[in-house]
Amino acid sequence: MAPLEKADLLQGTLDLLILKVVALGPVHGYGISQRIRQISEEVLQVQQGSLYPALHRLEKKGWLEADWGESDNGRQAKFYRLSAKGRRQLAAEEETWERLSRAVTLILQTAR
Amino acid sequence: MKRRPPSADDSIDREIAFHIDELTHRFIEEGVPPGEARRRALLEFGGREQVKQSLREVQTWPFAEHLFFHLQAAIRFIRKAPGFSVAVGLTLAFAIGANSAVFSAIDAIIFRALPFPESDQLLVLSQRNTQGRDTNPFVAPVRLEEWNQLNSTLQAVSGYYTDDLSETSGPLPEKVTEALVAPRFLQVMGVSPALGRGFTTGEEHWGGPNAALISYAFWQRRFNGDPNTVGKKLHVDKYSYTIVGIMPASFQFPSRDVDVWCTSAPDAPFAQRRDATWFTVIGRMKPGVTIQKATADLRAVQSELGKQFPKPDSQFTVDAVALKETVVGSIRDSLWLLYGSVTLLLLIACSNIAALLLARTAQREQEISIRYSLGASRTTIMVQIFSEVFGLALLGSMAGLLVAAVAARGFHRLADTLPRATEITLNWKIVGYSLLVAGLTTILCGLIPAVRGTRRGLASSLAHNSRTQVSVRNRLQWTLVGVQVAFAVALLLGAGLLLRSMQQIARVSPGFDPSHVLTLQVSGSWAETADKDALSARIRRTLDGLRTLPGVEADATSGTLPGASYLYQLEFKVDGKSEPGHPLYADSRYVSGGYFETVGIPILLGDPCRLSSKTLEVIVNRTFADRYLNGSPIGHQLSRAEGDFLPTAIIRGVAADAHEEGINKAPVPTVYTCYSAPGPFPNYLIRTHGDPAVLADAVRRRLHELEPSRSVYAVSTLQDHLDNSLAENRLRTLLLTLFAVSAVSLACIGLYGTLSYLARLRRKEVGVRLALGALRSQIVARFLGQGLRVTGCGCLAGLALGFAFSRVLHGMLYGVTAVDPLTYAGVAALVLTIATLALLFPALRASRVQPAKVLRDQ
Repeated sequence: MAPLEKADLLQGTLDLLILKVVALGPVHGYGISQRIRQISEEVLQVQQGSLYPALHRLEKKGWLEADWGESDNGRQAKFYRLSAKGRRQLAAEEETWERLSRAVTLILQTAR
Repeated sequence: MKRRPPSADDSIDREIAFHIDELTHRFIEEGVPPGEARRRALLEFGGREQVKQSLREVQTWPFAEHLFFHLQAAIRFIRKAPGFSVAVGLTLAFAIGANSAVFSAIDAIIFRALPFPESDQLLVLSQRNTQGRDTNPFVAPVRLEEWNQLNSTLQAVSGYYTDDLSETSGPLPEKVTEALVAPRFLQVMGVSPALGRGFTTGEEHWGGPNAALISYAFWQRRFNGDPNTVGKKLHVDKYSYTIVGIMPASFQFPSRDVDVWCTSAPDAPFAQRRDATWFTVIGRMKPGVTIQKATADLRAVQSELGKQFPKPDSQFTVDAVALKETVVGSIRDSLWLLYGSVTLLLLIACSNIAALLLARTAQREQEISIRYSLGASRTTIMVQIFSEVFGLALLGSMAGLLVAAVAARGFHRLADTLPRATEITLNWKIVGYSLLVAGLTTILCGLIPAVRGTRRGLASSLAHNSRTQVSVRNRLQWTLVGVQVAFAVALLLGAGLLLRSMQQIARVSPGFDPSHVLTLQVSGSWAETADKDALSARIRRTLDGLRTLPGVEADATSGTLPGASYLYQLEFKVDGKSEPGHPLYADSRYVSGGYFETVGIPILLGDPCRLSSKTLEVIVNRTFADRYLNGSPIGHQLSRAEGDFLPTAIIRGVAADAHEEGINKAPVPTVYTCYSAPGPFPNYLIRTHGDPAVLADAVRRRLHELEPSRSVYAVSTLQDHLDNSLAENRLRTLLLTLFAVSAVSLACIGLYGTLSYLARLRRKEVGVRLALGALRSQIVARFLGQGLRVTGCGCLAGLALGFAFSRVLHGMLYGVTAVDPLTYAGVAALVLTIATLALLFPALRASRVQPAKVLRDQ
């Protein structure tokens, strides 16, 4: 499948994806972009120009916490973790997404 | 927020570098050669600078985080344009400095509480005669005690009066100022001695031990600050006092001059008369009581006393004024006037700098568009412009603090004229104030250039469409200049009116001759007034002794110096009758017989008065004679409308009108009573043949022979007294003139700069016009006309502004009205002339363009 452009991602979806990926465990920015790419089977490719501002914004909101730590290859990297506040936010956004996608799916099936 | 090692920018760099390295790694693992892998990674990451910039903007405190960076850039900018920066810095230094200096005076004199605990509870209470216009605010000791006992709103009531006495425990008699205080004085003031104790109840009552508190300054001067001073004896006048305490250095009440505080017992036998008035009464309100409440309470008390003692209490009511008001009341208007002026000056400086910056941002358009294309946001560029201005304003406010520090020293020298002047210091509040002003200045100066200069559309379209955009900007720039001219004209108008007043005052003939008159006082005690004959004899002896000195032409005593405001108005009766509805009010002055000869007031009719033991003689001035007695007063009997300690007097002569109340006040009806001893320390006036100051020593020596146990003080000349009485006036005029001149200079710089800038922009146009046959004079007239139109509008606005605020000067003018047409016309003419000169140079330069060269450059 051809990769979706960033503009095709729904507003706010990127935040949800980041929170979800980070929820799996502390991870650096590069790791996040790679996991989104891999998990979505290369459909979603997050532009760095959007990823990092989003990460910093989420950090500022207090949903993410960041620390400098050692990466797999022994280099200093900035690792992001989900804060308690971020966990609540993730749950809320997941629920919103479920409802939204169920609604969209319903419409698509009914209108068929 | 989490601590980011070591700075946000660095952290962002490292995070991005890590990402790019990992990408490179991945490509290498996929088999791409290292160099190519790196290139691809960079490509995939995309606009690295843009990412960094947007990350910076996400940060919590973009401005604070980058303040240092911006300030660094600002310093670079300041160093790159030293001439511009120095000009702006100096302008701001002067404007902020003058503003901070005047603010420091306002803060110390008006805002800051008096240096007593809960000083807003302190009141001065005075009695006012509701039936006559007698202006004797002093209160009888018995009444003071009654006010203290019967009121319900005050914690305590006390009072004081001062004597100028001699202290004789040293080798030479030294003049000391003694404050004689009623009971509860320290309680009312809320101050306790720094060493020792206050007065005991026993010491506050008649017949108790003589105790004295001394001032810190006197302790230092007379006892070298010896800690064992308490308990020592002090010989003041005829009495010996035990020093019981030393007051703190900050306690200077009722005046800076007070050396000693002693008690004056209200239960003394001589203090029982209800018309013996001498205390200035002070009181401390209970917490939460307002002045209105206290006044109402005391008036009720007084009307109760009026029923009990109809004569004289029924004619009195009580006035209460905040103590601070009595200290600073007179100077407040002057200070606010000056503050208004320096603030106008600051505004002029700001609009001047704004215009300069506007021109500069226009020159920096290219730099700004490059920044835009490199991905800078408008906020960043605006912050950059503001931080450049802030850097200059900060430099200005630092230099301004130096100006304020120097000014504070200057204020201290004015301590005789300016109340609380010694309290003016450069403190943190002033530093904070000047920083605040620097901040406001930054916004005022930087806002227009920042908004105008960073218009994205403007920056890109300018290359194509410079003409129209430039003219918009010019209109704004001319408006700024017009505002400067208007403010400068308003300031100049104020200064002009004050200068005209000074000129009028200088023209006034005072009606007496102040040159060659030495003035001095000899210590004495109010207690001496108990035996008036002895006091008169003592003063007469002194006068006779002085008159035999070689070089002395005449001498006299007077209760108040001529030319010093006094206004002690009394109501009089002629031949024992007073016409109802036509009260005779006159200024009452006590002088000895030689007064008129000594100060040079001619006697127009009759004889100079004589000190006679049989009948009391008075001289009236011409205004009195004309207004009340149809010009022929001689031989009439004159008496006070109400009881007086002086008997009925006979009018002996008429003196010419003199400006006795002050050079800047018109003569009022005056009665001179020939009485050399209205008080224990009258002013001695000595007319000398030569320079009065030269004779001062001889006079001092003679007085020491005549009165070895008294001290001589306040030696001066009448001319100096007159000059000092106008000192506040002169200072105000001088400062306002200085500010006005600076304002006009700034406005001219604004005119000059704006026209120069405009002419430079329009060089090509001028070249083309000249090539097409325009005359140089036409070009000059065109540019000049544009500048003068703005100046004219500014002038009109300024005159209107001055007119609107003319009431501010009310009470500070003499001999001119606040809307004096001559001053208005003069100011307009002056400003137009100076403006023409300032505009002429750039206009001439603009016309000297070489058409061939300009066209070739095109």
